[in-house]
Order: sequence, then structure tokens, then C-alpha cells
Amino acid sequence: MPTAPHYDFVHATAALIAILALLSGLSLLLVKQVHEQVRVYAVLSAFAAGYTLLVGIDRVDAALIVLAVWTALIKVIVIPISVDRAVTRQVSEHEVPLVVQVPMSLLIGVTLTGLSYWSASALPIQGALLPAPALGMPLSLVLIGFFFMITRQNVISQIVGLLTLENGVFLATVAIAPGLPFAIGFLLLLDLLPAVVFYGVFARLIAVRAKTTSIEDMAVLRG
Amino acid sequence: MAVWILIMLALPLAAAAGGVFIGDRPAMGWLSLAAAAGSFACALVVVFAYDAVRGRHALGSAFFLDALSGVFLIAVAFVYAVVAVYSAGYLLPGIGHIQLRRWYWPLLNLFGLALLATPVLANLGVLWVAVELTTVVSALLVTSEGSDESLEAGWKYIVIGSAGLAVGLLGIVLIYAAGIPSLGDHYTPTYPTLAHAAPNLNASLVRTGFALALVGFGTKVGLVPMHAWLPDAHSEGPSPVSAMLSGALLAAALYAVLRIGAITQRTVGPSYVHVLLLVFGGLSLLLAALFTLRQTNYKRLLAYSSIEHMGIVSLGIGIGGPIAAYGAFFHVIVHAAGKTLAFFGAGGLLSRYDTRDADDVRGVIRLAPFTGAMVLLGALAITGVPPFGIFRSELLIVTGGFLHSKYALAGLLVVFANVAFVGVYQVFHRMVISPGEPVAGDRTRIDRPEQPLMAIAMVVSLTVVLVLGLWIPSPLNRLLHGATTVIGGRV
Repeated sequence: MPTAPHYDFVHATAALIAILALLSGLSLLLVKQVHEQVRVYAVLSAFAAGYTLLVGIDRVDAALIVLAVWTALIKVIVIPISVDRAVTRQVSEHEVPLVVQVPMSLLIGVTLTGLSYWSASALPIQGALLPAPALGMPLSLVLIGFFFMITRQNVISQIVGLLTLENGVFLATVAIAPGLPFAIGFLLLLDLLPAVVFYGVFARLIAVRAKTTSIEDMAVLRG
Repeated sequence: MAVWILIMLALPLAAAAGGVFIGDRPAMGWLSLAAAAGSFACALVVVFAYDAVRGRHALGSAFFLDALSGVFLIAVAFVYAVVAVYSAGYLLPGIGHIQLRRWYWPLLNLFGLALLATPVLANLGVLWVAVELTTVVSALLVTSEGSDESLEAGWKYIVIGSAGLAVGLLGIVLIYAAGIPSLGDHYTPTYPTLAHAAPNLNASLVRTGFALALVGFGTKVGLVPMHAWLPDAHSEGPSPVSAMLSGALLAAALYAVLRIGAITQRTVGPSYVHVLLLVFGGLSLLLAALFTLRQTNYKRLLAYSSIEHMGIVSLGIGIGGPIAAYGAFFHVIVHAAGKTLAFFGAGGLLSRYDTRDADDVRGVIRLAPFTGAMVLLGALAITGVPPFGIFRSELLIVTGGFLHSKYALAGLLVVFANVAFVGVYQVFHRMVISPGEPVAGDRTRIDRPEQPLMAIAMVVSLTVVLVLGLWIPSPLNRLLHGATTVIGGRV
């Protein structure tokens, strides 16, 4: 049994990181600028890495600590810089037209968060360091990522939405299955790299061809 | 067995690597063809010579092969092999319309590698990685004709597919978490480990995990309502890629669903898995069949037919019982052969008429009798007309439904399989046999001899779907029976 002061501090820090991660997810819904969206994703990823590091230290698990460092390297530095460089400099417009305006987006985001916590509370699951329901925050990020993807008609925004969703799944993995073999965790993270490269290739193709990263005109195929 | 599996996977990898050095030369086609044929031969050895029905580990716990893996491995290996043969002809100058020629073969071989790996990987986490790899590689293949439409289709596919797979991963994580109380904190989530511990897993976590896996991987299967990417990707990709997507990719994703379903049914009983498969399968069959009635793009029509067939397989396993499940697994194999034939035929049409609009294609049988005959036979095969294998598999599923008093489900299959028959056949009949001129007037038609490699691929697919309609070899019969004991065999 860990000693109370250390235990409380670690739990409190984990809860704080969870709150900050959730707020970063929600703040994504406030941002219209493409560059800002990529930065918010980097901040969210930093919290994901921080949480992984905390769990790794608490469990004295070297694999999780290495995973946290890799997460920071790939998601906080490599991916945001590559995504930003790959496309946003190719186009003139940087503000994403919104299908759902900011106040309504935020309201829906908060509703999705409530829904996530409510559904997660039905699952009998203990999360590493997180207050119950452990899956509430990761599930909220998954749903916010989905909602963001659907309502932003822009290639970069959709990539950011997809990566936010992936961050939610990553946090869920660390929260409820921290013992998942390192090889798998590492492979999942490694798998993200080619995926992002391919997203980047696509985004660049679209941007170069259409001189825009908007996908509003991508509606030829129907029925 | 491990050596054969490793060779099977090393061949496409070597061919993909070769593509980087050889580039866009005919030798690359021959190299890929040899790699794909070699992989298919290895798959046959692995499944039949080592008796997959008994369930075996290989290379420690890296690979696991049982009858369920065997069925899907045979299907994907066959499709990869015939697609390689067809592509070697399709990529010759003046036939296909592929722009990204330099990357076609490396990507196709990587796609083949990921598809072959999926059914033999024991670890659910690594299996997910393999399925994810199929998405990123095949999405670029979809765009290889270089049109705006193909770019749109590729983008939709990669975004929807990746989002779906993220949900599928969440499902796997929940199932992993369900095993922590009984298997400890650091176990490796291989199928045999989880299947053995299944009765002790947390039921509500497993239920939720399977539901998420079904939605996630079901997105790649093209199950309604997660199917939005499929008609676009299948219709805008080059025809051999469409054949690979339809015959192999959908099957590989369905394999992931069934593998997780097999664990789930050991924990919570078969009815939960069956009900979910029935709901998604029934919905897919119903809507896809209705959509075939309003299509004029013949490749898009085949795409909806793929959704319909994945619905039929899900329905067959959902109905449950040895006969319906046997029919469903048999359907995976005959659909792979039938749909490759149909898409190969569609590729032949596209290369001659340069249009996907069925209204602009008439009199194929007079211009190109061989292609016309193959297109029509392909349409008949995939719509379940006797004596083709799909008729046999659908009949088995319907018989299984009636035997277990699931009359409404059997009736649903009979009615909507016939709706799809009307939808598909009328369009292909008009294009191939009906006299008269194209609606848009006299379009450019390329009158040239049949390309031999494309013709060989079509004849092979036709032979397989026809022969299996008349005779099921006993090793295959045993394999199919074996698969029903893994999932679907119980009511």
C-alpha cells in the first residue's frame, strides 16, 4: 500500500492532467485557425504524454516511461511540425469555415463529455490513477474528435480531429490497460507515423491540386 | 509451419522493396506476380498440409492458425494472386489509366502483405496494426488513376476508415482490460490466451468491447451504416484495386470482427454476437440491395453488391447453426472469386469504353466477345445464379435459417438477394447484350485483342467460382466445418 501523501499527490496530479486534457479537447472546438488547431493538438498530446509518464513513474514501469517519451517526441513535436509544414504553407486561407458555429459546437462538446462520463460510469473498470469513471475523459476526447472531424470541412482540421480521436484511444489504453505489452504500445505508436505521412501526402495532393485545404468542393461522388 | 508463414509474408515484402529499385518496368509486374503466386502456394501449404483445423501456434505465440484463419487466408491469398496476374496486364501501356505507376506495385505488394498477415497474427493488438496498414496503403492505391474523383474517394476512405479503426482499437483495449483480473496486468492478448480465459472475463466489458470492435472493424467491412467510404473507393480505384478491396480487404476486416466475436461468445454466449451480426448484416443486405436498383455507374453497382455480400456473410453467421455458418464461410471464398471476376470484367469495359456510366456502354458482346462473356458471367456469379458457388452458399444459409426456424431471416435473404439480382443483372445485360446505341451517342471504343494476362486472371476466377458451385474438395469442406466450430456453429 503506497503512503498516503505521495499517493494523494500523484492522484491529484493525474486528475489535474485529465481535466487539462479534456479542456484542451474542448478548446479545439473554439479555434478557427488551422495553425492554432494543430497547436492545440500538440498541447493535448503533451498532456497525454504527461499522464503516461505519471502512470509509468507510479507503477515503476520503464516501458511506460519510454512510451511517454516517444509520445512526446512523435505527437508533440514530429507530427504537429510535419502537418503544419506539409500543407498549411501551400495555401492562402488559414481560417476554417464552420458547419456548426462556435457556441453551438461548445454546447455539443460539453454534452458529448457528459454523455461519455455517463456511459463510462456503467463500466466496471478501474483506471490507473484516474478518478472514476476512468474512461470518461478518454471517451470524451474520442467523441469530440469525431464531432470536430464531421463539422470542419478542411483537410488539416480533419487530420487534427482524427489525431484527437486517436489520442482519446491512447489515453484509454494507458488508463485501463497500462500493462499492455510495451511492444504493442510501441507498435501502435509507430503505426501512427506512416498513417500521418499518408494523411500528409493526401492533404498535400488536395492542396496542390485545388490550391485550398477546404473540402467543401469534394462532393462529386454521391448515391 | 512458421517457415512457410514467414516465406508467405516475406515474398510480398521483397517484391515491394524490389519495386523501389526496379521502378516502373515490366519486370516489376513479373516479380510481383511471382511473389503473389508464391504466397498463395505457401498459404495452401500452411492451411492444408499443416491441418489448420486443429489450431496451431507458430513462431512462439506470434502466429496462430485455426480453421477460421484458414478460410480467410485462402480467400485473401487467392485474391492477391489473381489481382497480381490481372494487374501485370492492366498496367501495360494503353490499357489501364493508372497515373501513379511508379508506386502501384510496391503499394499493391504491401497491401497484399498486410492482408496475408491479418488472419495469421495471434496478437489482437498486432492484428489491428495490420488492418490499419491495409487502410493507409490501399487508400493511396485508390487514388492511383490520379483523377479528382479518385482523390475525393481516397480521402473519404482514409478518414472514415481510420476513425473506424480507432474505435475498433478501443474495443480491443476493453477486451484486454476485461482479462486483467484473471490473466494479470501484463499478459499478451493473443487469441488462444483470451479464448481460454473467456469464461472468466468481465462480461460487460467484453460485450462493450465487441460492440465497439464490430462498429470499428465493421467500418472497413462496409457494414451499413458505416459504409459511406466503400462505394466511392471501389468505384474510383483502378479495377484490380477494387477487386482486392472487395474480395480481400472486406474479408480481412470481417475476420477481425469474427475473431473478437469468437472470444465474446465464449464469455457471454453466442446469442449476443449473433444478434449484433444479424442487425448490421440484415441492414447491409437490405439497403445495399435497394441501392443496386438505382445505380448507373457499373463499378459503383459492384461496390453496393460487395456491401450486400458482406451483409449476407454476417447474416449467415448471425443465423447460427452449422449449416448457415458453413454457408457463410463458404460465401467468403466464393465471393472472393466471383467479385474479382466481376471487377476484372469491369476493368475490361473501362479500358475499352473509358466510362463508368453503364448508359454509355452498349453491345460489348459484339465489340469484345470474351470480355462481354466474362462481364456477364461475373454478374451472374455474384448475383447467386446456379451453378455458381454463390448460389450454393446462399442456399446453405437459407437452408440453415429454415432448419432453425428463422423464417423471417431466411426470407429476408431470399427477397433481397433477388432484388440485388435484378439491380445488378439488368445493368450488365443492357451493356453486354442489348442492341442499340449508347445514350450519350457513339463514344470512342477501343477495339483491340484481349490482353492475355487479364484474360487468364478472369478465367481462373471464373473457374474457381464455377467449380466450387459444383464440387467442394474434401480438405476445403473440412476447413469450412472447422470454422463453424470457432464461431457461428451454435444457435
